[in-house]
Amino acid sequence: MPSVDAAPAPAGAAPVGAIAARAIGLRKEFGRTVAVDGIDLEVPAGAVLGMLGPNGSGKTTLIRMLLGLTRPTAGSAELLGQPVAEGADRALPHVGALVEGPGFHPFMSGRENLRRVATMEPLLTRREIPSAVDVALKRVGLTDAADRRYRGYSLGMKQRLGLAAVLLLPRRLVVLDEPTNGLDPAGTRDVRRIIAELHAAGTTVIVSSHLLAEVEATCTHVAVLQAGSLVAAGELRTLLAAGTAGLVIATPDVDLALRTLREAGATAYRAERTSSEEQAVVVGDDGPPAPELIALLVREGVAVHEARRSRTNLEELFARLTEEPS
Amino acid sequence: MTTAVLPLAEVPRAVPLGRLLGAEVHWVLRRPRTLVMLGVFALVPVLISIGVAVADGEGGPGLIGAVAGNGLMLPVVAITVSLALLLPLAVAMAAADALAGEAAHGTLRGLLLAPVGRLRLVGMKAFGVLVVAILAVLALAVVGVLAGLMVVGLAEGQLVTLSGTAVGLWEALGRVALVVAWTVGQLAAVGAVALAVSAHTEHPLVVLASVLGGLIVFGVLSAIPALDWLQPYLLTTGWTAGADVLRDPMPLDGLAESTLRALCYLTVGAGLTVYRMLRRVA
Repeated sequence: MPSVDAAPAPAGAAPVGAIAARAIGLRKEFGRTVAVDGIDLEVPAGAVLGMLGPNGSGKTTLIRMLLGLTRPTAGSAELLGQPVAEGADRALPHVGALVEGPGFHPFMSGRENLRRVATMEPLLTRREIPSAVDVALKRVGLTDAADRRYRGYSLGMKQRLGLAAVLLLPRRLVVLDEPTNGLDPAGTRDVRRIIAELHAAGTTVIVSSHLLAEVEATCTHVAVLQAGSLVAAGELRTLLAAGTAGLVIATPDVDLALRTLREAGATAYRAERTSSEEQAVVVGDDGPPAPELIALLVREGVAVHEARRSRTNLEELFARLTEEPS
Repeated sequence: MTTAVLPLAEVPRAVPLGRLLGAEVHWVLRRPRTLVMLGVFALVPVLISIGVAVADGEGGPGLIGAVAGNGLMLPVVAITVSLALLLPLAVAMAAADALAGEAAHGTLRGLLLAPVGRLRLVGMKAFGVLVVAILAVLALAVVGVLAGLMVVGLAEGQLVTLSGTAVGLWEALGRVALVVAWTVGQLAAVGAVALAVSAHTEHPLVVLASVLGGLIVFGVLSAIPALDWLQPYLLTTGWTAGADVLRDPMPLDGLAESTLRALCYLTVGAGLTVYRMLRRVA
């Protein structure tokens, strides 16, 4: 089972090792199409999980099954320790979700819409509703437009109101399906800030996105979906580290370095010129360990200017995971 | 694999039912179309009264003719005339918005995720539709009584029944109240069936089309002599019974029978709605 390691627990979070959401062999078929093909996934409490995948890879279907909006063909889901099939109503008050775009009534203002949503929240008392609505509107920057009709909202404002509904009360788990859809760069920054605030407050966040930079900037964990299957899941750092090609050694003596390394049994090749004008060699991680190789190079008289682990970014990782047949 | 679960410190209590029903009624009455519709119903008795007044007491044939100079007949006539099409349409509209409309706007998902329990959701929506039905019939009745008193006028302060006898003001008002209650019962049946359709679709138009189509099909079926045996099963069969309150002595069997029939429709509609909503994907 591609299980995600426990995250460093933020202050005030649930006990270490607790699982905020869990998919156990979740599978969904629509007719002959398999939208989600037996996914096992654990989202540790306090994590910010980025769910990545091309369009149609099953992200939304998986999220909908986790929330109990869609019944799985097979498998089961758990939310905050409660089985979704029977106990979703016990967990859902603690869960805020923005799934498949914001849904509001066009003839009411943003504030009226939000007040109606707040009225349906079991954890808000009648007296708390007006201030909860005001605070949520402020957090998403909609205070000025709050009394305009939803009908006249721009796509970005609609998305912000959807976020405000999620933020009406402190949640244990927040699920955001493509939250940056329709947002301008400032809106995207706001979403990133809100996710960071939620994370700092100990809330577990599941965010699906096709914007890789977004995920890389805000997430602690990643799950990559491809054609309904989970192709990778884990801590962002670990996944990126596992995707390294090895060691990058910057040196002007490239030819000597390559000869020395190959004689020592390592795979080495000339690095493609990057923006930095420095020449470098790349060493695979299948040979002798890095300290030995560096010591060897220095003994042979190669001028080592810099040696570092090559880091993949999420984009390369994502491309590798979703383009090669896995 | 860790097995620890998050302890749910407090098992949240559901939102009080009164708060749900209040929010639903607020939402229904906040919709501009509901208010326009109620305005139209208030207009129906006014138009009839003006028509009758313009006709100058000639008193043509039929129910509307019987209103001439006999103002307390107006509310009953206005309700009976509207029951044929206008009232079912209004109820169908409310039912269409209640579930299909919420689904179309993506707000049904929010209600399910809040969570409003699925059974409570059906109860809340049914209540909203019922409130619309009651308000519509009350608009007809109240404006009907007022217009009847002010525009048409009374025959010696009394209601002259279709049977030719006269009953006093208070008894006449009691009969209006009876026809209001009976009509709300019939509309509850229409609403339950419309809500069942609404639970099965996310296109509000489908609900309107089903109710309108159903009314027309019922009308056609009841006009075919070979299908006489079908009559007792058609909801619309008893819809002329409303005028029974204008007779003296008042025959109650028609009212009772049509109310029982409405109860059957109500049960089936409610059952289908609940069955569907417990499984609905939003």
